[in-house]
Amino acid sequence: MDTANGNATTASAAPAAPAQPNGHREDPGGFKLKFCTVCASNQNRSMEGHLRLALANYPVISFGTGSLVRLPGPTITQPNVYKFNETSYDSIYRELEAKDPRLYRANGLLNMLGRNRNIKWGPERWQDWQVGMPRVKKETDKGFEGMEGGVADIVITCEERCWDAVIDDLLNRGSPLNRAVHVINIDIKDNHEEASVGGKAMVDLADSLNQVAKEEREKVGATAFDSGSGAARASFDERVPEVIGEWQERWPNLPATWTLAWF
Amino acid sequence: MASTPAVPIEEQLKQLNAARKLALENSAYYDRIVKGVLPVIGPTSSIELKRWGAEFLAESLATPVLSVRDKESLTLSVLDTLKSLLESEQDDAIVLKASIAAAASAYPVVLRWIIHNSYHTEAWEQTSAIKSRILRIWDGAPAPVRLSCIKFAQRVVLAQTTSNGQEVKYGGLDISLGMVPANHPLLDPRLMEAEATGLLDRMLGVLQDNSNDALLVDATLNCLSILIRTRPSTSNRIINCVLNFNPLKLANSPMTPKNKVLMKSMEKTTRMLMINILKRHVDPNNQHSGRVQQYVERLMRSRAEIFDEAGRKRQLADQAAAQYGDLKRQKMQDASAAAPEPAAPAQPAVIPPLTPGPQTLAAVFTLTNNPGLQAFDATSIPANLVAKIVARTLNTLDQSVLDFAVNGIRSRLHTLQAAAVTAAAQYAAHGAAGLPGAFNPATAPLGVEEDDDDYEPNLDAAEDTEQILNKLDNAPPETALDEYADPNAALGLGPFTLAPPPLIDADVASKLSSAAASRLFGPLSSLSSEGPSKKPKAGINRLAASSYDRDSWLTVATRLATRSTFGLEEEEQEEQTSAVKSEEGAVSHPLASTFNQSFREMLFTYILEDWRPRIEVAVAWLSEEWYNDQLTKRTGLRNAPLHYETWALRLLDGFMTFITAQDKVLTRFLAEIPELSGELLGRLKTLCGDPNTLGLAMTSLLYLVMMRPPARELALDTVGGIWVEYEEARPLAAKYLSKWRPGWVEQQMHLQAAKAVAGGGGNGAAGIAA
Repeated sequence: MDTANGNATTASAAPAAPAQPNGHREDPGGFKLKFCTVCASNQNRSMEGHLRLALANYPVISFGTGSLVRLPGPTITQPNVYKFNETSYDSIYRELEAKDPRLYRANGLLNMLGRNRNIKWGPERWQDWQVGMPRVKKETDKGFEGMEGGVADIVITCEERCWDAVIDDLLNRGSPLNRAVHVINIDIKDNHEEASVGGKAMVDLADSLNQVAKEEREKVGATAFDSGSGAARASFDERVPEVIGEWQERWPNLPATWTLAWF
Repeated sequence: MASTPAVPIEEQLKQLNAARKLALENSAYYDRIVKGVLPVIGPTSSIELKRWGAEFLAESLATPVLSVRDKESLTLSVLDTLKSLLESEQDDAIVLKASIAAAASAYPVVLRWIIHNSYHTEAWEQTSAIKSRILRIWDGAPAPVRLSCIKFAQRVVLAQTTSNGQEVKYGGLDISLGMVPANHPLLDPRLMEAEATGLLDRMLGVLQDNSNDALLVDATLNCLSILIRTRPSTSNRIINCVLNFNPLKLANSPMTPKNKVLMKSMEKTTRMLMINILKRHVDPNNQHSGRVQQYVERLMRSRAEIFDEAGRKRQLADQAAAQYGDLKRQKMQDASAAAPEPAAPAQPAVIPPLTPGPQTLAAVFTLTNNPGLQAFDATSIPANLVAKIVARTLNTLDQSVLDFAVNGIRSRLHTLQAAAVTAAAQYAAHGAAGLPGAFNPATAPLGVEEDDDDYEPNLDAAEDTEQILNKLDNAPPETALDEYADPNAALGLGPFTLAPPPLIDADVASKLSSAAASRLFGPLSSLSSEGPSKKPKAGINRLAASSYDRDSWLTVATRLATRSTFGLEEEEQEEQTSAVKSEEGAVSHPLASTFNQSFREMLFTYILEDWRPRIEVAVAWLSEEWYNDQLTKRTGLRNAPLHYETWALRLLDGFMTFITAQDKVLTRFLAEIPELSGELLGRLKTLCGDPNTLGLAMTSLLYLVMMRPPARELALDTVGGIWVEYEEARPLAAKYLSKWRPGWVEQQMHLQAAKAVAGGGGNGAAGIAA
């Protein structure tokens, strides 16, 4: 079941990836929004999103907002707990595999960790992220291309709690970079199936947003000559709520919240 | 470099990106690379290059890799380019947005540089020009540019107001007005602060207008936190402004998907800011937290209402749809369509008489002819819903219809009663076996007797089976049917009298009343008392229960203790005196007063448990007692017990045991209670025995003398008494007395001397007599 799930993930995403963003890539302007996915432990939902967005050729990084990385253990009171930024997915994988391979294979953890260790080194904590710190030494990360500057245009959280944590943290930081960022929450339940659905929804949202952003980039030069129609002249930032509203109609089971915050 | 049109733009961008990567990899290159690209991105370059350049400048000036000091030379070198980008590029929002963001990062750095290098007027002039240019294009600019303008204004406000030093020291956030020396040749702190105030107002304008533009509202709200936290001079203004902002204004407009997103966004962003303030903002006077808390709660409630209502509506619609699709319901509709009156009125014009024979309670109260409604099982509706429906129906019901219905039911009940009486008589006459078949439990409740037609004249065969089925569904179990069959237990409603309550003897009554009293004290421990600072002084106009807090509850308690049995005690007292001729015993009022007495005892213990802070309660209580005594006196009942004096004495005695020299509350207590007596003040004398508390007693008395003229004589008498009794207190007492009763001390001295002589003589005489 677990492997089937994993295969389905990669299988469905892999063909989809070249199909969708291909058009984007062939574009001469080739503008791409930079994304950041956030969940509680930077394991399941944000990593699913990270992978999907990376496969769709978007620059992407991911974080967790929890105090520690928590993974289910043998009982509900015995979770496996790891430190952010210091533990690699690979070491967690090997530890769990040594503990109880049957259990962790059956509940999908090993499969998930196996996927994650191919995406990046280890879980990172949002609150410890120094926004704007160049990420030049992360070439092996999926979605690295375009993320060198260490900032994102769009932050997608996977749970209201994480959105709250992100906003609260940004308020505390005091926005030293003067850079606007759209923070969007998509409520995704923390299980493999929902994460997979959520990942698809994220790519859909990313495509819609990027389309609008690209239009802005391509158009503005032209509008200097013929000032196009009102709707087309609206900027990317203005059209974000509209795009989310339309996206919400397509994904009614993933309630979304949005705000414009500052890095 | 700008003059290399031979190189295609893509190629140039590729090179520029490679250069950028180099800077990102090694921050040491920043200075050289930034200065190197400046000519490429100048005002004459193509739009792509300008966009790239503006964004690169914004990124470089904001990078956390370099410290503010490192950024100085970088920043100063780009000012010229920034200025020309802002001035040359009128239309391209991307260039403007990034340039203004770069300017926002540059502003504090330049300000810091100018503070320390006042000779560099050129840099300051450039910066001022950039600033005025940005502030000029702010209004009317495209949305992304306005976003950047908001942020730029925020950085200017941040830099030009005084800091409280609680911000983190990076990104130039700590650069503030406090760093500007008062005699700086270029910078005038007062003008700068005035400018900051103006800009803050301009920023907050979007909130004051209650704008629907969530983008600008969110952008503004999300950069206010650091101002509130670290720039105290701005926090009042901002918090008041946000508290007056209503993010849910859009709720009245059509709920399009976009509007929903906008409204949710503004509400949540406002709430997050407020919660962040509650958590992080150190509010010295705590003046805002209450209001902020209330605002957050109100927001959450309104939000829940708005979105919940939408949810509820959908649910109801779903339910309705499900019901219309329901097979059974359709059948019912068919059935009623077959009946002559498909749209049966809710209220029949005539209330049909009941069929003879036993009836269910439901049948007795059923007025409708509609078989569908008759079969409806009302118990399936939750009780709270029923209550709502009933309340609403009663509210809108026509009085005449109600009267009509009530009379109809009443007449039915009369018939039933009459029938029951006759049936009982029959039962008594013939015995159970002789009963007619109408009481057969298997058929009676199903309503299939031949007389049914009277009851439901429009019944046809199809309805019959339907109804039988329904009734079978709802039929009570066999045993219950047997009970129905018993004519005495049936709904005959014979005469019924409620059993008289058991008699309560004095013992039980007193136990119950003390239990009741103790329950009244229950909530006190859980009720929070309001902070002493914000207590409104309602004074005499106070209502006992204007709010559910400790104060109101205590007022209720004191009034219950003093006044609840007003007028009852007297009667008992009189009865007692007339019957037993006992002297006025303060303890033995049997019934009504036990409650009061035990209540008073509890109040007394409550106060003494922690008497210093609860002295206010004591004063309030005694005031009530005094008032009650006055009322009692006015009724003219001679033997009515008076409580004020007793309890005042008991309370004072209670405090006395614990009092220390620091307890100024004693002075307050004596000053505030409504009436003083010689005995009461006499208790103070015990304090004079101890040199520690002597001062307190005397101060309290002096206070009374000075501030309470009606009690002056009484207090002076007490001081006199103290002078006489306590040797140690004499100097102090004499000081007061000489001021307020000149000559009294001397008189006493004489008297005492005379007494001493007389006493000596007396003793001598006694000795002689012995």
